[in-house]
Amino acid sequence: MQISVKLLATYRKKLPAGTKGSTCFLEVPAHFAVRQIVEQFELTYDSSNVILLNGQVAEPDQILKNDDVVCVFPAFAGG
Amino acid sequence: MNGWHGKILKINLTDQVVTQESVDPDFAKDYLGGRGWAIKYLYEGIDPRVDPLSPDNMLIFATGPLTGTPAPTGNRYMVVTKSPLTGSLSNSNSGGEFPTWMKRTGFDMFIFTGKAPKPVYLWVNEDQVELRSAEHLWGEKVPRTTDLLIGETHPDAKVACIGPAGENLVLMAAIMNDKDRAAARSGVGAVMGSKNLKAVVVYGTKVPTMYDEKGMKKLSLEISKEVGVGIKAGSSLREYGTAYVPQVTNELGILPTRNFRSGQFEGVDLIDGVALKEKYLIRAKPCYRCPIACGRLTEVAEGSPYDGAGEGPEYETLSALGSSCGIDNLGAITKANYTCNELGMDTITAGMTVAAAMDLYERGYIPESDIGKPLRFGDADTLIELLGKMAYRQGFGNSLAEGSYRLAEKYGHPEIAVTARKLEFPGYDPRGAQGMGLLYATASVGASHMAGDVAYVEVFGVPEKINPLITKGKPALVKRFGNAFVSIDSTGMCVFLSVRYIFDPDINLWPTRLTQLMNLTTGAEYTPESLIQAADRIFNLERMFLIRAGFTGKDDTLPPRMLQEPLPTGPAKGYVVKLDQMLPEFYALQGWDENGVPTKEKLAELGLSNMVSL
Repeated sequence: MQISVKLLATYRKKLPAGTKGSTCFLEVPAHFAVRQIVEQFELTYDSSNVILLNGQVAEPDQILKNDDVVCVFPAFAGG
Repeated sequence: MNGWHGKILKINLTDQVVTQESVDPDFAKDYLGGRGWAIKYLYEGIDPRVDPLSPDNMLIFATGPLTGTPAPTGNRYMVVTKSPLTGSLSNSNSGGEFPTWMKRTGFDMFIFTGKAPKPVYLWVNEDQVELRSAEHLWGEKVPRTTDLLIGETHPDAKVACIGPAGENLVLMAAIMNDKDRAAARSGVGAVMGSKNLKAVVVYGTKVPTMYDEKGMKKLSLEISKEVGVGIKAGSSLREYGTAYVPQVTNELGILPTRNFRSGQFEGVDLIDGVALKEKYLIRAKPCYRCPIACGRLTEVAEGSPYDGAGEGPEYETLSALGSSCGIDNLGAITKANYTCNELGMDTITAGMTVAAAMDLYERGYIPESDIGKPLRFGDADTLIELLGKMAYRQGFGNSLAEGSYRLAEKYGHPEIAVTARKLEFPGYDPRGAQGMGLLYATASVGASHMAGDVAYVEVFGVPEKINPLITKGKPALVKRFGNAFVSIDSTGMCVFLSVRYIFDPDINLWPTRLTQLMNLTTGAEYTPESLIQAADRIFNLERMFLIRAGFTGKDDTLPPRMLQEPLPTGPAKGYVVKLDQMLPEFYALQGWDENGVPTKEKLAELGLSNMVSL
């Protein structure tokens, strides 16, 4: 199944070379968890990052579904 | 005194008389400085029902005890007055260089009363204080005014001034300092214009003394090093400024789009910090001695219809002049930002007022003949044209100059204006960030994120991420953030650094380190408890100012779009602000009655009983 990974702010540099914008698309196997996506991009699952699944705060063990969007950005304020 | 100079300059503009006043040490401690000192003087100095643009209003520039000290980001000042846009308080804050140099004059605060018979500026070079004619500057834009004043005072002087918008009493006029920095919100520039005061120019070498200078420098260095570690670890403010935020708020579905019709903007990739860096960024530009450097020095090259140079845009500007107006042309947004800076206007209220006008036009509520042309969402060139007309009150610009609420009311549809206390919302749609909704509804100044920005936790995960869609726990959160922001505004610090590095790193925002900084600087023996109580005292005195100005609990509300129209897309789809689930608990936590009035017991607890006996 296919999911989207959106890496914002300074984490955009971790997207695969040639990615346009902030989002890349990934094929993942069944029973793949949010944590595995985060680790795949060498990011840490802790309070230094905000990790969202479809715009909501994600739990590390949440299992991904087709068309899900995982978004990660460094926790730093603000506007 | 240490930290505080303990001296205030009082400028009677009507009689052209300047006097000095010493400050009582107990008062200094109980009201912290900055925003706290200012509200005490405003409360005692004016009738809260005065016409804000009359000579009876008071205009206060106030630094805090940490302004001009080694405290990282201790370089802010406040402008406090009665707002002509809202009829409530103005608490507008700015950085740059002006605040530190104002403090170095040897005065903590300048208080302006009355109205000068002809345009003047104030020149303060330590004890040499002069009111000088500004007739040759009247009509000049901000950059030239600044250059001319530096030329005729001192090469290292710092300037805060108004542009044409302030002179023309435009209700979103800002006070600009160091050319591109703004004490922006709620029309403080119009108050300055109403007093015929074009500028305040400062220079001095009186660095405030410190109770324990060695200890203060050590702690300040420790904090700066932590900021440096954060930047290396991937903090975004240095690299992108706040311009990285549109992507975050868009992802959460709360990026104001087309006057808050929705919270997701299809053009977000074109207006974010990455695009800004690639296209227009020259370099990061810090305020004086700031280790973060969120400011953006930018240039749109010659040959572009939007050419120019200056600072910005930052997030709020991208939201107000960009997505809120349906505009995805970053060059045009940047030009619109420069235009606001040069003319001296708040980008948030200016942008949101044009957005409201676009909304009104597209619904058929404003006839095209009034504007002279169509005004649709996405029309960048007309936005820029209208900003110019707004500052000079020309044609339709005269209606825009009154802000979005009065504009929408004039055309019979006040519900289209997205304001609280007539102040335009900043860049977080509160339907998807419930705590922000409670903040906007209850803040003394109206809808300002700077009154207690719970977006830190609801959006940015600082110091921890909390579900933005729930209401549980939000009243306590808004109260804590409100008091924390009072303490930041009163001591002279910047919120960007403070929430992350000065308060304990959890949602209680306990001011352990702020207390240390204050004690090392002033020697006034604060405890975290007494510091927060001082903030609570200031906040409640502000509330009493509002009550005496005629506001009631009924004004603690939001426009119908927020309370009745659900967000159409995104993670917050289907949500409205559930204000009624939060407001009663918020009042109870504050020690206010069911009408939002501080109880006698609450006022007694804060030592305010005598002051506010009515």
